[in-house]
Order: sequence, then structure tokens, then C-alpha cells
Amino acid sequence: MHIRANFDRCTGCRLCQFACAERACSGYNPRHSLLRIQNSTEHLYNFPIVCNHCLNAYCQNVCPARAISRDEQTGAVVIDENRCISCGLCAQYCPLGVIIRHPESDKYAKCDLCGGHPLCVQACPTGALEIAYTGGDHA
Amino acid sequence: MPNAYQGTLLHIDLSGQEVQHLPVPQWLRETFVGGKGFGAKLLYDLLPAGTAPLDPATPLMFFPGPLTGTKAPSIRACAVTKSPLTGLFLDSYFGGEFGQEIKYAGYDGLIITGRAPQPVYLYIADTTVEIRPAASLWGQDALEANANIKRECEDPSLKIVTIGQAGEKRVPFALLSCEFNRQAGRGGAGAVMGAKNLKAVAVRGEQLVKVADPEGFTKAVAQAHTELEGSDDIQVLRQTGTASAVEFANEAGLFPANNFQDSSFAKADRLGDKGQSKHLWLGNIACLGCPIYCSKIGAIRHGKYAGTISDTVEYESAGLLGANLGISDIRAVTHLTRLCDVFGLDSMSAGGAIGFAMEAAEKGIIDAPDGIDLTFGNVEAAEYLIRGMALQENELGRLLSQGVRRAAVALGGDSEAFAQHTKGLETPAWGPRGALGTGLAFMTADRGGCHQRGLPAPIEITHDEYNGKPVDPRATEGKAAMVMEMQDFSAGTDALVKCDFATAGIAIETYAAMLSTATGVERDASFLTDLGARIWNQIRLFNLREGLDPSDDRLPKRFFRDPVPSGPQQGQHFTTEQTAAMLEEYYALRGWDASGVPTSTTLDTLSLGTLPRFVLNS
Repeated sequence: MHIRANFDRCTGCRLCQFACAERACSGYNPRHSLLRIQNSTEHLYNFPIVCNHCLNAYCQNVCPARAISRDEQTGAVVIDENRCISCGLCAQYCPLGVIIRHPESDKYAKCDLCGGHPLCVQACPTGALEIAYTGGDHA
Repeated sequence: MPNAYQGTLLHIDLSGQEVQHLPVPQWLRETFVGGKGFGAKLLYDLLPAGTAPLDPATPLMFFPGPLTGTKAPSIRACAVTKSPLTGLFLDSYFGGEFGQEIKYAGYDGLIITGRAPQPVYLYIADTTVEIRPAASLWGQDALEANANIKRECEDPSLKIVTIGQAGEKRVPFALLSCEFNRQAGRGGAGAVMGAKNLKAVAVRGEQLVKVADPEGFTKAVAQAHTELEGSDDIQVLRQTGTASAVEFANEAGLFPANNFQDSSFAKADRLGDKGQSKHLWLGNIACLGCPIYCSKIGAIRHGKYAGTISDTVEYESAGLLGANLGISDIRAVTHLTRLCDVFGLDSMSAGGAIGFAMEAAEKGIIDAPDGIDLTFGNVEAAEYLIRGMALQENELGRLLSQGVRRAAVALGGDSEAFAQHTKGLETPAWGPRGALGTGLAFMTADRGGCHQRGLPAPIEITHDEYNGKPVDPRATEGKAAMVMEMQDFSAGTDALVKCDFATAGIAIETYAAMLSTATGVERDASFLTDLGARIWNQIRLFNLREGLDPSDDRLPKRFFRDPVPSGPQQGQHFTTEQTAAMLEEYYALRGWDASGVPTSTTLDTLSLGTLPRFVLNS
């Protein structure tokens, strides 16, 4: 599974980011959520940017501590906080900018699809984020 | 235990170039909560009595509330200062994301005093606070300056409040531009910022806002979302923003036309949601954390103004820059509103001032400038005056930029008879003849003639029930109690700081539940209404101290002298007996004496006599 983003339905309300930051950091600040909303043209457009859980995941490839792996159940590329050495290479090589440093633990964090029930999708009031199933390698 | 406060107020003195981090006193949280409450208390305590609004000593303050920056839906922030337009207390509200970013930077408010010797902007990133030169930004419009600061800082995620040229030139109704399509419009906070030589405040923050009882808070927030989804009014706002109010107000005979000469406009449908959806709208946008997405974003696609990006032309702008000027082309009204936004003028006061000028020309009190056809319906004349007011580039513009109260004094003659203002604040786009409670709300609003402190009009005009009884729009009885209850509700929840629209769905008990679980201090609905009364009286004390004459608790002369000439309210006008009766009852219910001054008993009941004074330690 993965999260599909429909920019045409996104209002930029960031309720998804609140839900994500709440789970990731036990507090509220969209900067500490694991997805981004990029605005353009005076907010005429709002682009939700979510982890692709790439088939060839550069974050996983560059991690020197082998802290990043694929969850076989959900297909999510996940970080094992206990193995993370806080080097930040994963964030540096993520082209989407959706890996962040946890403000309190100092470890790196990324979308893990909330174990198969993404809270951002549940929080979205417009259907701009939805769960998609692609089968195959992403099953 | 965490709570939804960050615990710190940031004070920047631009004269001394000094920065202070001040703890938020516990008593201030308990008695004034945040937002409008903090503003009411701090402006009273920090402004030296009798200080002119544009004096460096006047504080310009930005306050989120305890719920701002959390996932509580539809919460925003306010700017508070002394109004250069009215000389009274000014609180002006804005959505978007700037208020939340103040919390994320770690603050429960920004207090800016003094005057920089040269143009500057403030850069605030958590505990880093820098006063940076802004000479190159001076003269730029509000959105140009916003873009250039983001470019200079190489940070598009900054949240920035700017002024346009009108603020730089200290136009008394200059606005604050709080990112795209979000303005703190009324009362001239932009002029106070300009008088401080402050072009912008740019903020970014990495702090988290945490709540005391996460589980309880989640439950309360879920309840608020359920109430929003269940409200028909919210569904209308979600579909059209306030644009659909145009046709409602017009059909009710409350919609101002030609400087309030009439109360309905034949082509109102072109200015409302039908006209706007056809010519402008493309999609929906929302403020941070709001599921209502009342904003209808779009663009003018064809014609003279093609390419202009537009949010909803909300009701007030459609009324005051449209029908009130006799203009029915929604694309032209969009263009005029956009000019106000980028130059930094309150579109409501601007519309009021232009309507006043058009009527003055109609009556032969002023001569139209060369080449300008200063008649109702003329878009070019309106544009000429907006430029004239904002850029101070022509004589008539300079006169009108002082607001209709001062313009009428300068012109003399009978011009006061059609100067539409209360205490200097231009009348909002609700002509109250035929809805007596709405008139009382304008008369008694704390910042001058204002519709956001309680607007009985929709209840009155539909004969809806209030407290279980159908409301007669043309009766005086019961109006004082209704207006006072609305004002206390509004002031109490503006301490949070709520969006006015969301209150059509979220119950006051739910606001209290969100506040309780966020802060860890149990509060009920009556706490919020008592808080509203305390804030209202604190502001009355400020206004009286700063020279408010209670005899100014009155409506524009037109609403007494000129019966509505046509439409559903034809023949309606106020009488002095009606307004005196409502005001007498209102003062008595408020616990004010017959001259409109709070009694000592009232102040004691609200604990206003015994509270400490808030000081800036130096």
C-alpha cells in the first residue's frame, strides 16, 4: 500500500500534518510531521508530498547503520529508531524532504504508514490523501 | 505537565534595539487566557495613558491563544494596539498560519514598542531575534515584500506579516498582511507598524505545542469536528464562504447601496456566490487546522484584469467596494479588493471612504478631480481614490485616507449627514435600518461600528428564535440582553482565539472542553462568558481613559434621518427614542451607570479592581 496525494483536493489545512506530528512527536507543529504541503501561486495550489516508499529507496541504500528496512506487511520503508545513529544521511538523500529529525529523541523519523492505518489519511477532510494498493512489490 | 502555553512573551523595543523574553504570569493566564484577553489587559497596562496611536511608545502586539497551533479546529490569532482611526482599543483578527508560527517559535505573544531609526524587519527563529535592515523593502507592496524576505532568507516556509505602502505612509486604516489572502484589516494596525519603521515580522519555529490531557483533548476536538460537520451554516460557508450572504442580505434589505442611501442592489447576484463561482473560483483553501475551507481560490481569466489571483471576495468587500459604490462587475470588485490588499488598505474602510466621496460629489460638496468621473458605478474613479489614499498621490485621496469622520469634519457643511461611521470606524456592509438589535451592536461595539462583536441581523431578519423566543426585528425589547450575550461570547472565545465562522458549529461547551484539556485547568461555558464580560469591561475602561465620550455610542445620522427608500425595509429608520431605550437597558445590564461608565461594583465582581499591573521589566 501507499498514500496517494490528490493536489486538486488539498486545501492546505494541514490537518494531516497535525495528526502525523501528534503521533511522531506527541505535540503539534507541521514542521515536525512526516509529510509536507508545498504551496505555490499564492496558495492557489497545495501539493501534499508523502513518502513514496520507493522501490529503490535511496534512504535505505545510504544508511550506514542498516537502520532502514522494508516492512513486509505494509510495504513501508521504515526506520528502526534503536539502530539509527542520527547521522542524517537518509534525510540528506531523500529527494522529497520527508525524513525529519525527531525534536526530542534526536533520531531520524519517516513515514511508516502508521502500521497500515495512516492517520494523515483519516484526518484529511477532503480526500486529498487516500490509501492506494498497487500490488506487486508494493503489496 | 505540558500545557498549551509556551510560557513566554517576546518584547522587542525597536528604539533601544533590545529584546526581552518575559514569563507569562500565572494570574494573566487565569484571568485573561490569551488572544483578545491578553491584549485587553496588556494594552491598558503598557500604553502610557493618552499616548497617540502613532507614538513610538504605543505597543503593537500579536497574540495567539492557548489553542492556537494545536489541532483544535479553526483557531487563529489577533493584533492589538491603539487604533489611529478611532483612538480606541483595536483588536484585529487574522487566519492563515502566522499566529500559529508565533507559538511554534516558543511564544504566547509578541510585544513591539519603540521606533527604529531606519526601516527594519524582524526575523524571529525560536530564540534568535534579529532586527534587520529593510530599506530595500520600503516602498514595496505587501506581497512583494513578503516574497523578497523569503528570498533573502532563503526560506519559503517563513510566515510573515507585512505592511504595504499605506502602512508606511501611516494611513489610519492601513492593514496588516498576514501571508496571502489573510489580513488583519480593520482599524489601522498597519499604520502603527509603519510608524515604527517596521516593514515586516518574519517568524519560523521548531517548538512543539503540547497539551495537558492528550486523550481528553482528542475527544474534545473530535466533538468540535462533529459539530462542524453537523451544522448547516458551516456547510454553506464550506460551499461559498461569505459570498452567499450577499443575496441573503440583499433580499432582507440590509445590503448597502450607494453609500447606504439604499438597502438593496438590483445586481447583487453578480457580486455573490453565483457571480463569483462563474467568473473566479477554481478550488478551496483553508487556514491552518481548519476543516471548513471557506476560501474559494481562483483567478480572473478574461478581460482587463486577467491573471489576478483571487480568494473569495468576501461579503464585506463585495458590499462596500461593490454595491456601496454602485459597481456590479465582480471582476472589477475583485481588482479593487486586490489593490487594497497589496497596497495595504482595509477594503471596508476604503469602500466606505469612496462611497462617501461619490455621494459628496453627487451633492456638489466636492468637485471631481480633473479627468475623473466621480459617480457611483465608476470603477476608474474607485481605483483613482484607492491609489490616492494608499500612495498619498492626490489631494482627495489624502483627505479620504483620514477616514470618513475626519473627512466630513474637513469638508464641513452637511457632509456629516452621510459620513457612515461609528466612533470613526466605517460602517460594515450591514445597513441596520429594520433590524434594531444590529444597530445596538454597532453602537456598542468596543472598536467602533463593527459587525464582529455580535451580529443579530440574520436572527432578527428571519424572525428566528433566540433563547427560545422568536425575535421581532423592529422591537427594542430584549435586544440589549441579546447583544450583550453575543458580545460576551465573542470576547470570551476571542481569548482562544476562535474563527467567527466556526462558532456557527462549535458549541461554547466544546470550546471550554478543548481549553480545559489543552491547559489542564477545568473550565466550563460560564467561565468563557464571564471572561468575555471581564474583557469587555477592561476595554471599556481603556476606551474611557483614552477619551471615549459615551455619547458617541450612537449610529450614523443617515440611519435616523433617511428612511430606506425601497425594498423590503422601505420606510425603515431608527428613532432617537429607540436607540436611547436600547442603550439605557444595555448600560443597566452591563452594570454601567447611566452615562456608560462601569460601576465599582461591576469591576469588583469581575476582579478588575484588584488585579496586578503587567509591567515590562527593564
